[in-house]
Amino acid sequence: MNRCCPTVLILLALAHGAAAQSDRPALVVLKGARIHPVASAPIDGGVLILAGGKVQALGGADLPVPEGAKVIDCTGKVITPGLVDAGANVAIQPRDRNEQGDEVTPQARIVDAMDPLARSLERVLRQGVTTVQVNPGTRNVIGGTGAVLRTHAASAAEMVLKDKSQLRIVLGAEPSQGNMAIRGGNPDSIYYRRPTTRMGVVWTIRKAFYDAQAYREKRTIPANGAPMPELDAGMEVLLEALDRKLTVRSTARAEQDIRTALRLAEEFGYETVLDESAEVWRVIDLVAGAKAKVLFNLPSAARARDGAAADGAEVRLNTLELLAKAKVPFAIQGSGAGLPLIQEAAFAVRQGLDAETALAAITKVPAEVLGVADRVGTLAPGRDADVVVWSGDPFDPATRIESVFVQGRQVVN
Amino acid sequence: MLLRTLLGSALACAALSSAAPAQDALAIRAGKVLTMTGKDLENVVILVENGRITAISDEVKPAWNAKVIDATDKVVMPAWVLAHTSGGLSGGDVENMLNVPYLTVKDALDPASLFVEEALRNGVGTFHVMPGNRTMLGGTGMVARPYGKTVEDMTVLSRTALKLSLASAPGQRTTQIRRLQRALQDVREYLEDFERRKKEFEEEKAAGAAGDKKEFGEEPDAQKKPVIELLQGKLRGYLYVPGPAEVPEALRLANTAKLDLVLVLGWQCWRAARALTNLKNPVVLDPDLEAYDVDPETDTETLVCAAAELAKQGVPFALSIDTGTDGPQRFPWWQAATLVRHGVDRNIALAALTTVPAKLLGLADQVGTVEVGKVANLQILTGDPLKATTWVDQVVLEGQLAYERSKDRRLQHLFGKNDPGQAQAK
Repeated sequence: MNRCCPTVLILLALAHGAAAQSDRPALVVLKGARIHPVASAPIDGGVLILAGGKVQALGGADLPVPEGAKVIDCTGKVITPGLVDAGANVAIQPRDRNEQGDEVTPQARIVDAMDPLARSLERVLRQGVTTVQVNPGTRNVIGGTGAVLRTHAASAAEMVLKDKSQLRIVLGAEPSQGNMAIRGGNPDSIYYRRPTTRMGVVWTIRKAFYDAQAYREKRTIPANGAPMPELDAGMEVLLEALDRKLTVRSTARAEQDIRTALRLAEEFGYETVLDESAEVWRVIDLVAGAKAKVLFNLPSAARARDGAAADGAEVRLNTLELLAKAKVPFAIQGSGAGLPLIQEAAFAVRQGLDAETALAAITKVPAEVLGVADRVGTLAPGRDADVVVWSGDPFDPATRIESVFVQGRQVVN
Repeated sequence: MLLRTLLGSALACAALSSAAPAQDALAIRAGKVLTMTGKDLENVVILVENGRITAISDEVKPAWNAKVIDATDKVVMPAWVLAHTSGGLSGGDVENMLNVPYLTVKDALDPASLFVEEALRNGVGTFHVMPGNRTMLGGTGMVARPYGKTVEDMTVLSRTALKLSLASAPGQRTTQIRRLQRALQDVREYLEDFERRKKEFEEEKAAGAAGDKKEFGEEPDAQKKPVIELLQGKLRGYLYVPGPAEVPEALRLANTAKLDLVLVLGWQCWRAARALTNLKNPVVLDPDLEAYDVDPETDTETLVCAAAELAKQGVPFALSIDTGTDGPQRFPWWQAATLVRHGVDRNIALAALTTVPAKLLGLADQVGTVEVGKVANLQILTGDPLKATTWVDQVVLEGQLAYERSKDRRLQHLFGKNDPGQAQAK
């Protein structure tokens, strides 16, 4: 037994050394692949240099390879930025998504429910998704703030790329679902939560922002000698939205709810992106005029047999094509619920979207929507070295992932 | 046998066409043909007369009365063949009784169902409808075409096989195995008793002790008939095997009890792949082809494709599609592409939806390939079948143009054709 120990120790030391080595973001050169930087034109037989966790340089075959670099031959492969999902169902336990203590919880932060060891994170990472936006659920009228996470990082803290990235507001029938008017019974029951109709949902939003405006007045101009109201975490978040420092994610599926979302944004002057807006094809001009961006769910699930999505929204298979034509920026989102994100984009291409726009819809555009475009979503010098190497055309359903790099570390092979 | 049939049908067609101009002549000018015989063709004309392919060549000239389809920029391949599905059954596929072998899907198949509509839209030419996977002895199936106003119109083959299932409620696996054994044994004993009584009557009659009764006059119980025929080897069984734990019993039924069985395998059965190498028939795989396998020791998970594991062991298989999902597992091409993504040879993947099921259904001389003498069940695609951008443009069933994408009202509607102010897309 004792005699075994030294061997074990040596093995452990070796293993540790290997781990430490692979952990250090080395100088890596990916050579020979077709590179889609998304921010610029594709490069055939390109060279991509990753150093210090960042993209150092990229270019054609003539780009000099720095000395001492680990060169990986990627001939015949295709390289894209790590994918960005603007609305992924990962890292949060289903029961942790909806804080049902109140229908207005802007102070709730999804990072507080983040499980950094969740298997779902690893799954989407292996599907090439390196950045995800996670959100509070859709049962509250104002559900709280979401966060942008890396799907791989050395620690939980480093996983958070941007906290408080968006404030979620949900329109339509869902926030009032299950609530009911009091008719006898126990008035303390949670089912007596308000609102109970679309009218009530919209009023709840208005009231929250009216309250925030009144709160601001009281906080800034205390009426002669009147005590300053206490700091209110929820109100502070709403003020950030009113000051356009925090984007509102308006979940609005049906046409009427999309109109309402844009009306409310105009009324209170906050900036909004439209989320899960399946019926946006009906109001393309309105959306284009409002300069709103659109987050679109799972194109693969749209099926010929029945057109209904959530909230009775009708789907059209040419929606993304129409958005592209009207130059409305949009992202394709929803990994963790359906297919891998790349395959969802492939279905968008099947439905008529050009491949370049489809790739931007899962990289550059969501990065811009989430305010992290200076870090991820494109391949350019200075960006995070989040890279996916595909065995071929990423939109070919027979294509596999060869490797994924996050901040220069190869985390999937 | 196969050759004779081919020759026979070719001769029959030749005879017909020489006697009179063909009634239903069709010529497809194909840019590319995936024949599924091992050799692909380019720039040929496929001639179809009276529902059969009569010639494939770059030299033939279509008859003066032939309808010509220009597919010079398209890919022509056999319409898909589904070896096993429970789609299109009105009112669901689950019985609340376990022992109902006397039921038949013919009484439930709905020609107007969305399954049938989608099957045609997705290029399916032949499908084998069977009772669902949850019923122990679920009834008999039929082979149908996704075309026709009545079940009779749609019927290709009647009463094809009996459905059996080892699916069980949680914790009842061995009970279910025992139940199925018992149900089969009951019929065996019934049959022995019947034969004994019949023999006794014949003996009595021979001895002159039968009285006025001249004939035995008794038929076996009609409700037991499918099981009786299964036990006698006259009817094939499709046995649903949910997981590897049920595989030994499935093998016992196939090998020891000598039933003619086709195993319909749940995803988990890939674990027993090595035990499945010596089956008489190819197996049919569940529509859920890939799933995560978690290592109980390390808690790490791997995405496993059941078909890829079976292919590694050389187990022949047919694929099926999911009929109850919004996901792409509802598309045959997606199922085949999933296999290729997991490293399975492209031809094996395509065969699992064409030649393998055709043979399984006893239709190898009719469908599954593009060859002279075969039934003209063809799909005309806008590109390679396994590319996401490819659409089924037209479907020819038995020589008739059964589907045209440009006239697919539901699809056109979904692409916004009817929306005000929208230009026609797709």
